Amino acid sequence: MTRGAAARAVELTKIYGQGEARVTALAGVTVSFHAGELTAIMGPSGSGKSTLMHCVAGLDTASSGKSWIGDTELSALSDDALTILRRDRVGFVFQAFNLLPTLTAIENIVLPLDLAGRKPDPAHADAIIDAIGLRDRLHHRPGQLSGGQQQRVACARALITKPDVIFADEPTGALDSRSSAELLSLLRRSVDELRQTVVMVTHDPAAAAYADRVLFLADGQIVGELLKPDADSILDRMRDLEHRAVTV
Amino acid sequence: MLRAVLRDMRAHPGRMAMTLVAIVLGVGFVVATWVVSDSAAETVSSGSSRSDVAVQVTGEELTPETVSELRALPGVTKAQGVAFGYSALVGKDGKISGYSFPDMGGTAWDSSERFSLVSGRAPATDKEVALEEASASDAGVGVGESARLLNGDGSSRDATVVGIYTYRRLSVDESTPVAAFDPATAKQTLGEKYSWIELTGTDATAIAKAIAGLGLDAKTGVELKADRERAATSEAEFARNFLLAFAGVALLAGMFVIANTFTMLVAQRSRHFALLRAVGARRGQVRRAIIAEAAVLGLIGSTIGAALGVGLGWLAMTLIRTTGETIVFAVSPLAILIGYLVGVVVTVVAAYGSARRGSAIAPVAALRADASLPRRSIVLRTVAGAIFITGGVAAVIATSGTPLSKMERAVGMGGALIAWLGVLFLAPLLASAFLKPLSKVARSATSRLAVRNAIRDPLRTAATASALMIGLALVTSFATVSSSVEEVMTKTVKNDLPAQTLAVQPVQAWFDLPEAVIERVKGMSPKDSVATPVQGGVRVTLPGHELRGQTWTAVEPAAIGTVLTPPIKEGRWDLKGGFAVSTELADEFGLKVGTQLTLHFEEAAPITAPVTGIYPDSYVMRGVVLNKELLPAGLKGYPLGVFVKGGDQSKLTAALADRPDVVVRDRDGLIAAQTEPIRLALGIISALLGAAVVIAVFGVVNTLALSVLERTREIGVFRAVGATRKLVRSSVRWESIVIASYGGVLGIGVGVLLGAVMQHVILTQPIFSLTVPWLLVGGALAGMVVVGVVAALWPARRAARTDVLAAIATA
Repeated sequence: MTRGAAARAVELTKIYGQGEARVTALAGVTVSFHAGELTAIMGPSGSGKSTLMHCVAGLDTASSGKSWIGDTELSALSDDALTILRRDRVGFVFQAFNLLPTLTAIENIVLPLDLAGRKPDPAHADAIIDAIGLRDRLHHRPGQLSGGQQQRVACARALITKPDVIFADEPTGALDSRSSAELLSLLRRSVDELRQTVVMVTHDPAAAAYADRVLFLADGQIVGELLKPDADSILDRMRDLEHRAVTV
Repeated sequence: MLRAVLRDMRAHPGRMAMTLVAIVLGVGFVVATWVVSDSAAETVSSGSSRSDVAVQVTGEELTPETVSELRALPGVTKAQGVAFGYSALVGKDGKISGYSFPDMGGTAWDSSERFSLVSGRAPATDKEVALEEASASDAGVGVGESARLLNGDGSSRDATVVGIYTYRRLSVDESTPVAAFDPATAKQTLGEKYSWIELTGTDATAIAKAIAGLGLDAKTGVELKADRERAATSEAEFARNFLLAFAGVALLAGMFVIANTFTMLVAQRSRHFALLRAVGARRGQVRRAIIAEAAVLGLIGSTIGAALGVGLGWLAMTLIRTTGETIVFAVSPLAILIGYLVGVVVTVVAAYGSARRGSAIAPVAALRADASLPRRSIVLRTVAGAIFITGGVAAVIATSGTPLSKMERAVGMGGALIAWLGVLFLAPLLASAFLKPLSKVARSATSRLAVRNAIRDPLRTAATASALMIGLALVTSFATVSSSVEEVMTKTVKNDLPAQTLAVQPVQAWFDLPEAVIERVKGMSPKDSVATPVQGGVRVTLPGHELRGQTWTAVEPAAIGTVLTPPIKEGRWDLKGGFAVSTELADEFGLKVGTQLTLHFEEAAPITAPVTGIYPDSYVMRGVVLNKELLPAGLKGYPLGVFVKGGDQSKLTAALADRPDVVVRDRDGLIAAQTEPIRLALGIISALLGAAVVIAVFGVVNTLALSVLERTREIGVFRAVGATRKLVRSSVRWESIVIASYGGVLGIGVGVLLGAVMQHVILTQPIFSLTVPWLLVGGALAGMVVVGVVAALWPARRAARTDVLAAIATA
């Protein structure tokens, strides 16, 4: 089975600071995120997993190397073009504070379309609202929703534009275990049922176990990969990585 | 603790900048006011003051003989008679220029300290003249050019300007002559009677004593100087109080800005304060720290403000310097001290509320990620606002009848002001009430977001808008009063004069209308097409009453209904059958048609006749109107002008081209001449209130900048999900426009209503017979949109620059 890449990067490096304070966050990463898959990126703190995601998603610019969303190469784009690319072809779920507090849940969900001046496709919107299970809370403000509900709204917002790829940065980081499970199965279902592509950064093996593929990062490089993982094998690999980090 | 505060302030200079602007402008205004009034007083009493006169002699008949007589007195070294006479400078437009008093417009040049040459030299022949500096610049003539001067008899002559001088007064009530002639010419044109005689000598007191024996009045130079200083001080004090009222308004607007800023700063640092509390700071310590911060800010602001005030004061003095004086610039320590006092007290008082709230935060809040102060309740405000508005409106309604006593006027005005205070209290509630529907109709995501952000914290939006409202409400209310007064004036003039009637009047209202002009116009016009009303003072008696200090107006009976068409309320215009009296007079003394009145003139036989008509407000008529033919011979009265029906304005103007002292006005011209001073006054008041508006605009900038800072994370999310920088900018700009427009609508609404009450109590018109100054209202609303756009420039740019990653990554 040949799968196209929803997003990919070649020889991506990212260096912060200069001289003494110079930190290499990404040291030449080449990676491809397959369409229709849930990919998890794992690694110890400071391994560069968030930086990788930010660079591929067009939130940050790499020091060198190239990255693509679909066929669009990002380094050539202006700030406005990147913004519109994010609006139309990328979805985001952050760890917390995802929503604009003055907008209601439904307004938050359709915000990317609103910004583009487009109307949502009713059937699609309906499907998403059913998927997140918050039909009766659509007109509530984020302040009136629980953390888990807020994250599901963020998820719906990411799905509404049928993006090339959804990036989730520690989406369960601020949630209890039950809400986490709800959110992760929502992400899983968007891949299985809505044919979306999801890239998720996490440090939680239980979350990564929902993925089709897990990439391990350490010191700015990809150091491993697991296909069809389960929590135990992920945990083993992680322990391995941290041990290595300590001995270095 | 204080050190922690100071260090904190030093670390974040930006957030203090806008607060500083409010303090600096307010203090600057106060200090400038003080500097200007001090300098003005000082200028009059010292710099341009004369010291060359030992004694000034005044009296009925002062002639060259009196001068010789005085010169012979022991101790007198020099005696100089000072003569004045009619002379007026004709400007480029062929009319008398400037604001002089032509009757005392010419004088004889002498070598005393009266004159100080600015350029050129003293006049030496009858073809030469020296002119007063301000008048010369008004008329647009300089040294070497030819100037046309009007003589008392209506003739005029040309002379070469050889010198420009500034004039120094000796006594308080002296007017400034515009032209000085050489002594020989002066003797011819002005005559040989002196207004006063100036003596130089060694022992002023002894000389004054000797003069008292001659039946003349004498004042020593020392006494005169004291008089001048007294007058200058009281004038300066009046000006100071006037200006301080406006400075007070600016400071009030500033307080709103400062209070609002501190509220935001404290809210943003609530976690910091909670941390201080958690490590052991007592409530009082936190509160004092915030107050100390305010005091330090007040001190810094006052220092800059005082410097600004001194600069502004100097600028103002330089600009006022048209009277031809040599300016003395005085900065008293009191002025600076008051500036500091005002700056620190205003800042501390404004910050007190937020200091209390900031210190009330629970230490445990330091442990929460989203530490925030509890929302302030608006219940108390709402109740207070409702009570104030109800009470104020009730007071206004209770006094809305038309004849108004002094007490009723005060109650009505007080009620209006209290209701205004109520609106200030209710501003947060009104903000949510008015702006919520707006968020429903807002179409685009950005504008909806902007409106929602604007009502997110109604207290903050209301405080920001209230600062704007204060200045705007006052400007609008004054404009409403002025347009209502203009409307009334226009109406009375239109009532009194048909459109075809022309008026020949002196160039300035306080000039005399020469008899020769009256006769000439009469001679040029058909009989009964001319009215020459005159006025004077008289004592009026009627059965049971004696009315002193009344005015009479005498007019040709034939002119009524043709040349002049004053309305009548009761009875009819029948001057042949008796008097007409004003409604005011009739109401006050219960006069009715048929009441017998007797006019007792000072040096003529009394006239008795019944009242035949009662007339309402009139432009020409005042007091008791009588038949001009019945006016006792020798009683001339003060002419109001010559009114001609059916004349041709350009022909009449051409016929009077040789009279620079009179103008021919048609009805519209007359109305314009009447209303111009009101517009001028309104212009000055609006400019002075402008400071309050400027401060409020900085308040909008401040609120936006701090809000943007607070919402960094939100803006990051907004950007991440696809808002371009342009959209972020436009969302902040819309928010700014919403806040500014809210302040504008509130200010204009309150201003028009306040103006309605003001014109009611001033003009005794019904409240809703006001004239709304639509032009100003429209301009102010448009101006508020501009203010919104301008105020958002910097905050919007900051918001657009928000680093998406930094905003969302810092959890």
